[in-house]
Amino acid sequence: MNLASYRKKSPWILHYNAGGCNGCDIEILACLGPKYDIERFGMINTGNPKQSDILLVTGPVTKRSRERLVEIYAQMPEPKVVVSCGACACTGGVFRGMYNCEGGVDQYIPVDVYVCGCGTRPEQIIDGVVQALGILEQKTKAMEVSVRLQKEPLKEEGQINRRNIADQIKPALS
Amino acid sequence: MNDLLIPVLLILLAPLIGGLVYGFERIIKARMQRRIGPPLLQPFYDFLKLADKRKMIVHSAHAFLGIMHFVSLWFALAVLLLGGDLILVIFLHLLSTSLIILAGYSTRSIFSHLGANRTAISILAYEPVLIIIAVSIFMLTGSFDASAAFNWDQPLLYKMPLAFIALLLVLPIKLKKSPFDVAEAHQEVTGGVEIEFSGIFFEAVYTAKWLDYVFCYTLVFLFAGNNILLGIGLMVFTFFYLNALDNSSARVNYKQMLRFSLTVSFSLAFINLLINIFT
Ligand code: SF4
Repeated sequence: MNLASYRKKSPWILHYNAGGCNGCDIEILACLGPKYDIERFGMINTGNPKQSDILLVTGPVTKRSRERLVEIYAQMPEPKVVVSCGACACTGGVFRGMYNCEGGVDQYIPVDVYVCGCGTRPEQIIDGVVQALGILEQKTKAMEVSVRLQKEPLKEEGQINRRNIADQIKPALS
Repeated sequence: MNDLLIPVLLILLAPLIGGLVYGFERIIKARMQRRIGPPLLQPFYDFLKLADKRKMIVHSAHAFLGIMHFVSLWFALAVLLLGGDLILVIFLHLLSTSLIILAGYSTRSIFSHLGANRTAISILAYEPVLIIIAVSIFMLTGSFDASAAFNWDQPLLYKMPLAFIALLLVLPIKLKKSPFDVAEAHQEVTGGVEIEFSGIFFEAVYTAKWLDYVFCYTLVFLFAGNNILLGIGLMVFTFFYLNALDNSSARVNYKQMLRFSLTVSFSLAFINLLINIFT
């Protein structure tokens, strides 16, 4: 029995907003509603990284959210795919070049499918996720790591210091 | 021979039956919300997919407690279906729930702790009612054995309707359905105790949920005595009641749940017990 073919049938979704305007998040939630109803493909919005297969990221990566993004990505067991939803998540969109964000999810974690649109439409999101399912089927259970963590996390007095996580992931990159 | 065959078959097939019930429930729930809903076999697809994920555990005791939760729940179900002692069944179920609570406390995740706290509180809400119901059955049939209730010549429902209503009021707590799903509360604590389980170890917890369905519907079936048709009717009624309730109500907080259960459900069951004693 080929277990990999069942990945397609029950993709569980984790949705993370890395600092967007919430427009794309509402479109993602619209997919769950009666009109688009992605549960008919077996998708559930789990909200728990340890049990999900697809990470839907929206928003440009702000300096506050990038550590969480990497941490959430690291907590997902392989095989996993990342879909970046919206112009912000793909390139930075309207937030590109601002002092508080980096622009683009793919600077931190490997992205498999890019979905365009400022306020992506639910149809586009479903299409992107279906493409991601094709990629998910090809993936192996080998460890995947985030791509860029050179930037030092905040480590001022009284700030949460997540450097250790970054240090653990860094050797695997080089 | 024949009266042993059906319970044993049921016990062996319990996860399958529970999975089908869960799949059907997801469809019905979706239809109630005017959605199409997943295919019937969706829970099994989930099961097979989870088996294929990379293995990740928090620590070995956590994973072990999760698996023991499943095993002890199956054991409790087996005792119930074989017609064992009802008090024993209730305590075995309690044991399996306490194992998952221990698993919840054994990690350092805050959500896991919150979920464990809430699961412990929901035990406090439904356990007394179940015990009172078991005592009522004892008063009626003269035996704590479930088989005595299964073989009782007239449905227990006619003798103890209030206890049945009390059972209907505590079943949502046990099955983690709205409005009493504080223990799972997906939008608040993302699953509570099950949050740290992943991959093949989550499967134990996920399948234990299916067993819980079989367990609860068997408790409902108990009220029909040896009238199988009525039993099936009661189970179908309970199924639709639970889903309608789940879809139409919002979550209450744990204090409201505890207050409701210990005043309304408990008193109903207790009045029923008094009636059974004095008539
Ligand atoms: S892409 Fe547009 S709609 Fe989506 S989060 Fe960014 S700014 Fe908002």
